[in-house]
Amino acid sequence: MNQLMAARSLTTLPVVTLGGDAVAQIKDTVFDAAAGRITGFTLSGRGLLSGPLKQSLPWPAVHALGPHAVMIVDAGALADTPVVVARREAQQGRVLHAKVLTDEGAEVGTVLDVVVEGGTSGRVVGFRIAAVKSLVRGSRRHRHRVYVPRGDTLAVSGRALVIPADATRYVADDLPAFVARVSAFHEGHEGTPS
Amino acid sequence: MAWWMWLVVVVVALVGVAVVTLAVQAGRRSGTVIAVRRRPGGKGGR
Repeated sequence: MNQLMAARSLTTLPVVTLGGDAVAQIKDTVFDAAAGRITGFTLSGRGLLSGPLKQSLPWPAVHALGPHAVMIVDAGALADTPVVVARREAQQGRVLHAKVLTDEGAEVGTVLDVVVEGGTSGRVVGFRIAAVKSLVRGSRRHRHRVYVPRGDTLAVSGRALVIPADATRYVADDLPAFVARVSAFHEGHEGTPS
Repeated sequence: MAWWMWLVVVVVALVGVAVVTLAVQAGRRSGTVIAVRRRPGGKGGR
């Protein structure tokens, strides 16, 4: 598995061509809820006073997603923003702070971040959520921050994220532990669920 | 009002405009995470 990254940490990452030119920086990360993959990024300019760009970056044009930059072949890879996300979709699809529900109807927290796989994958592997106390037994905190796998059946909108109830057995406190839990979840739940 | 008081007013006003401008720009540049639904073979798919 490639390096896992929080989608919120991608904001302000420079978009760099293989020729070494920084042509923009990441603004929004857009992902396909059903496929569980990044579909592209909206962009803003590099200067202090520059705002959002009319161009965006579709995922097929990404050469590699790294921890310090998003690499593209050249500036010709950029496309008009509606190719990546329409304005209406952008307004309705904001997932941060959306409620997290299981497919059994239990509310288990709110979305803090989306965990994606870097490199050339762009896969959405899970979510960082502010979990309710019932999800993390033994925690003294009212809202415990944990990572939860995405699962195969997923519905997500700006209002709610629906995950399989089974996925809540594979929560982890940090990213290294989360990698193991994701593997266990996808390997027929052969790990050691909490 | 003394001339230096006008100078203070102008400087404060300029600083205020600069702070508001930078705050607005920071808001316009701040990002989020957006979920969309794509049909297989539709736009955005690889």
